Amino acid sequence: MTKGILIYAHNNRSVDYALMSIVAGGLAKKQLQVPASLVTDQSTIDWMHESKIYDKAQEVFENIIIVPRPPANNYRRLHDGVDHSTVTFMNGNRYSAWKQTPYDRTLMIDADFFIFSKTLGEYWDVDNDILIGESINDIYDNNRLGYCDRYISEVGTKLYWATTVMFTKNSYTKLFFDLVQIILDNYQYFADTYRFDSKQYRNDVAFSIAKHILDGFENIDTLSLPPVLTLLDKDILHDVDQDKLTVLVSHKLDANFCAATLKNTDIHIMNKQSIVRNISKLMELV
Amino acid sequence: MKFGYLIIVAEHDTIDYVQLAYGLALSIKNTQRPGFDQVALVIDNKQKLQNIKSDWVFDHVIEWDQETFWDGRSWMDQLSPFDNTVCLDADMLFLRDYSHWAEYFIENSELYIANKSFTYRGETVTDQYYRKAFVKNQLPNLYSFYTFFKKDSELAKEFFNLGRDIIKNPVEFANMFLSEHKPKILGTDEAFALAAKILDITDVISYDLDFPRVVHMKPMIQNWPWPADAWSDHVGFYLNNKGHLKIGNYQQQDIVHYVEKDKMNREMISILEEIAWKN
Repeated sequence: MTKGILIYAHNNRSVDYALMSIVAGGLAKKQLQVPASLVTDQSTIDWMHESKIYDKAQEVFENIIIVPRPPANNYRRLHDGVDHSTVTFMNGNRYSAWKQTPYDRTLMIDADFFIFSKTLGEYWDVDNDILIGESINDIYDNNRLGYCDRYISEVGTKLYWATTVMFTKNSYTKLFFDLVQIILDNYQYFADTYRFDSKQYRNDVAFSIAKHILDGFENIDTLSLPPVLTLLDKDILHDVDQDKLTVLVSHKLDANFCAATLKNTDIHIMNKQSIVRNISKLMELV
Repeated sequence: MKFGYLIIVAEHDTIDYVQLAYGLALSIKNTQRPGFDQVALVIDNKQKLQNIKSDWVFDHVIEWDQETFWDGRSWMDQLSPFDNTVCLDADMLFLRDYSHWAEYFIENSELYIANKSFTYRGETVTDQYYRKAFVKNQLPNLYSFYTFFKKDSELAKEFFNLGRDIIKNPVEFANMFLSEHKPKILGTDEAFALAAKILDITDVISYDLDFPRVVHMKPMIQNWPWPADAWSDHVGFYLNNKGHLKIGNYQQQDIVHYVEKDKMNREMISILEEIAWKN
């Protein structure tokens, strides 16, 4: 059975997901000792050439798979510490992972999820067709999270975090990813049924609903991937020194920060601009 | 050893408890396997059963009017016609076969009282909104909505005798044992919990088990981010013609204690009757 990492990266005018994906892919390869592939679009490839990172991408990824650019009809507010901007993001093609992956068993991760441990490698041979991040763990304290970080809505189902998804390519997971596409295509219907806010398409929500439906509309107590340790976007990645990350954490999500360091821990860094500011040091780790 | 479910109801000004008991009995007949589908109804006036189309769902009807509804349940040990009994609240629904739970209790227990409940999403209830008297007085977290007992058990006899004393003398017992927080009404749950504590038998009659699983639809314990007066203001209740129940987005598999009595309406009864008639 072939195993590998899959990362999606579609750049927008504000965030260089391709750049981050090289770090994410390189770190994942290094820690988990499996190949990685990138799914991207031609315009992002063009930018990779222009910014001279394409050669590095070819070094990190054994496959660079070009797909049509998904519609840029999704907006979200991204913070960089106290600053923020509203950006488009293109995340509406994650359902195609089943078709695009070249591997029998795939670990799909977000481009801003950096693997510094071997933890996820423990799940390759687990007898579950699909495993999704069980929840989010805030690096500071889960009290900073909101209700809708744990449930898709006030009365709806538990929210899984599609930042990390591991799946085996088989008929069951095809059904799963087909269902994710159905949810994407009928997002307003599912928003009405599950009572969540449809303004922004979220893969976390679509994957959670697909899991809920295929589990028989119940919370089945099956294995999941570990909670996704997360640095919120109001926090800041301050420095990278070897494999030690120094972060600034705002415990009240305001302009007051305290410093903390991380080592040997997988981390989802939502503040993308602070990743880019530290990209050369991160690249050294790959 | 004869086993059966016991439901105790009495006349009420606004709630048709007979209809609730009828709905529960239909759901028991529809889901439990033979030998575990017997139902006994204790009622203060048998005439109230006249409007029921299928009164055969009650294998035993016991007319008894010595106490009011709440007090009546503390007499369950003396009213049951079965050797082994599970006494249920009337506003419950059975949705699949739970006979194996009863088998376990018949084999292993003289008396067992549920000690946990679940939200409609399947989470264990941890919210103590309705259980302040339990927490502040350090009472065991018992739920009388599923109470198993053996007829010939001395332990059960002693327990129910004390439970009756507590219910008959609520002020005295509350002053003596519930001084940290006196409940407005000393109901069956509180009385059973206090009796277990006084007799120091909690570990014997309510040890940790994965069952019985009962979804408790009191609105303030559903892990919602806001206060709720009625759960039906927020999630739907959908019983299909196969007797499968969804609450909100969740398929229900465990016993559902629906609490809002108007849920057992004519439409629900018709669905349950039709399933019973086809079986």
